Amino acid sequence: MTSANQRAGAIRGGMPRKPIKISQEKVVIGISVVLFSIFSIVLDKFLSEGNIIALLKNVSILGTLAVGMGLVVVGRGIDLTMVAVMVVGVAFSIWVSSLGIDFTVAVLIGAVLVALIGLFTGVMIAFAEIPPIFATLAIASSIYGTGRIIFPSDVLYAPNNVGWLKWVGSGTLFGIPASVLIFGIVSVTMGLFLRKTRFGRLVYATGDNPNAARNMGLPTRPIIVTQYIISALIAFIAGLIMTGLVTGINTRIYNSSLIYDVLLVVVLGGIGLSGGQGGVRNVIVGTILVGILTNGMTILNVSYTNQNLIKSVILLTALAIDAIINPRDEQTSQTGDI
Amino acid sequence: MWQADSEADMGDADMGDADMGDIVEFRNATKTFGGIAAFRGVNFTLQPGEIHALLGENGAGKSTLTKVMAGVHTLSEGKLLLNGQEVNFSSPAEALKAGIAMVFQETNLVPAMTVAQNLYLGEEKLFNRLRGLNVQARQFLAGMGFQVDPTAQVSTLGAAHKQMVEIARAVHHRARVIIFDEPTATLTPEEKRHFFNLVDRLVKAGVAIVFITHALEEALQVASRITVMRDGQIVATGRAADFTRGSIVQAMVGRNLSETLHGSAKRATRSYGEKVLSVENLSCAGLVRNSSFSVFAGQVTGMFGLVGAGRTEMAKVIAGVMKRNVFHGGEIRLFGKSVRYRVPRPAMLDGIVYVTEDRKLDGFFETMTGGENLQIGALSNGNNPLSIVSPAQAKALVDHWGTRLRLKQISDQARMIELSGGNQQKVVIAKSLIQKPKLIIFDEPTRGVDVGAIVEIHQLISDLADDGMAVVVISSYLPEIMAVSDRVLVVKRGRVVEEMMASEASEEKIMFAAVH
Repeated sequence: MTSANQRAGAIRGGMPRKPIKISQEKVVIGISVVLFSIFSIVLDKFLSEGNIIALLKNVSILGTLAVGMGLVVVGRGIDLTMVAVMVVGVAFSIWVSSLGIDFTVAVLIGAVLVALIGLFTGVMIAFAEIPPIFATLAIASSIYGTGRIIFPSDVLYAPNNVGWLKWVGSGTLFGIPASVLIFGIVSVTMGLFLRKTRFGRLVYATGDNPNAARNMGLPTRPIIVTQYIISALIAFIAGLIMTGLVTGINTRIYNSSLIYDVLLVVVLGGIGLSGGQGGVRNVIVGTILVGILTNGMTILNVSYTNQNLIKSVILLTALAIDAIINPRDEQTSQTGDI
Repeated sequence: MWQADSEADMGDADMGDADMGDIVEFRNATKTFGGIAAFRGVNFTLQPGEIHALLGENGAGKSTLTKVMAGVHTLSEGKLLLNGQEVNFSSPAEALKAGIAMVFQETNLVPAMTVAQNLYLGEEKLFNRLRGLNVQARQFLAGMGFQVDPTAQVSTLGAAHKQMVEIARAVHHRARVIIFDEPTATLTPEEKRHFFNLVDRLVKAGVAIVFITHALEEALQVASRITVMRDGQIVATGRAADFTRGSIVQAMVGRNLSETLHGSAKRATRSYGEKVLSVENLSCAGLVRNSSFSVFAGQVTGMFGLVGAGRTEMAKVIAGVMKRNVFHGGEIRLFGKSVRYRVPRPAMLDGIVYVTEDRKLDGFFETMTGGENLQIGALSNGNNPLSIVSPAQAKALVDHWGTRLRLKQISDQARMIELSGGNQQKVVIAKSLIQKPKLIIFDEPTRGVDVGAIVEIHQLISDLADDGMAVVVISSYLPEIMAVSDRVLVVKRGRVVEEMMASEASEEKIMFAAVH
């Protein structure tokens, strides 16, 4: 194998793979449009203004969470702590304010706590090198468990005299609900952050090939830790939207399938779990589809259990498709050793 | 004894029925991987009760040939005969059943199980009586004269004992052919003596042994026959007594084609510049042992060694990719200042860059375009995470490096994975050069690169040294070492064993130092 011309022939990875994944986004948009049309025709309540606004409000929480998850998944991680961080962070803020501290200050204190949780998660993953899925799974239930010990009840109500919180819940700007606006701002900021800043490019590089990024001397560990801090803070923002919408937070949401809905949005939108691909646009596309689907099924009176069944089948399908078009194993196309 | 230099001389006349007792025979065998031949038109025989040494450079095809015998691979063309009957093993288990066992370089034992459990792996009864198993194993091992405790967990054993367990397992399966791939590489001299005693006893019992090794004197001492492979062909085969070390080395390296390609015409050797790096007594987890050497600016330092000699590990320790031993790890000095890196980033900021040997695994970002890859190189130096990335910068980088490295297609939106091997390698190199290194380490810079690009990459390496950079080139390919180096370091078993100037080096001398 060492003669020159044979050596020249031994080009690794010489087979070009066709870029199939541009289509995934378009397929999802197509399905969304079809679903939207069908629901509009079949369900007379679907197109009503009230329903559309309800749809958008529901979607804003899911979408905001998915933006945070999207960042982590682009960096080849996964953050299952998001829902736990969301409920415990907000519940903590409400609990602090119940001790007589101004709610706005309490929220800032909550944000600091949430950032510390994100820091801890990031350190466990980047420095202790625990696989993200196990680290975040364990940390999620520890956070929730600790919260349950501290808080007096499952449901905590925010004080009803906080102006900005009321605005988050029911305010509008140019007719757009505030919650949707916040989702929009978070998305646009994250989009610019990922695409335009040095940090964003390094997240893509680390997600694409962590070993190459490390070899090149990129600060891979700080990058990973920062991702988890940001995703925790975004989860906190989603929690505030929820508090505004329903004037309180039900910590039992942790036990719901919300985190899987978030994953569904991210994977369905086309952010490969193998990292380094996709962006905020994919999150928005995924959010719209899942939002339409959930809303339609609710109007159709599909039971919660059946909704979960349908969504989990879709998630499984999306994961299988993702695994096929974005194979994770770098070595698959290598020839045998000689 | 010489089978001359080409397959033409290896006709049926002198091979066919010379020995009736061949236990294994390859007839005109070829094995290709994705169009690339590992070996081609090979005729090889093995007789009962002989030790047959198989020699050759890395990549000559020895391992693949024996793996076909052991059922790991199947032949693409030609025949494999066992006792005169054609066989076609589809798995190692099938080969083992037919009496062919292979002891791999990295042992194939289950580390968490005991010796006895490993010995009888795969034939457990439904209710396994451990005590019975241990007694049985103890008797069996004692019968072979192995002093291994059957109840010991395999992970606690040393290399020599692990090998004994593997041999015992082969004997237990009544193997009549045992293949050893570099069995002595990890053994101490005493263990080696013991190992050869064992092999002797096996041979007396009529077992045929194939013995792949890089240690020529071992082959000359213990083997009854020797076969030398080069570039996927058998270039010499005959009785061990007819070989000398010199004739083996010459058979291993003798080549013509490569010399014309690499233009081994001697050019002026560059002189020593400033001492950039000095390494003293470097040690890393048994792969690098007490190695010392220096690297100078304005010069190409070639590092030659066989695969597994520890060259890559030395480079990785220097560049912070791997960590050296905490105690007695030795000392690395960069421009006279002692350094110890835990991650590559500080090494990169200090001006040390390592260009990987496997660019697909840890060299480039495959979903990005070539331009984006280059830009990551530029971004790696910065400190402000929020600084805005400008597309103009990427374009400028592509223009600059595209011209300098003659990269034709990277300016468009082609992703890295779609580029040719040569262009990929050039992007990886450019990405590293953007980081403005003072010391650059190339690990196998032309692996999987087309011929035209090889010449260009060698030219680039040469230019870098002319510009005053300290350049290290690691290669297992002798002509490459000869073509680019001003100074050659030879690495053997985790240590730099020989240093010579290019003017006094020859392929034979380097190879001699690497295997001696």
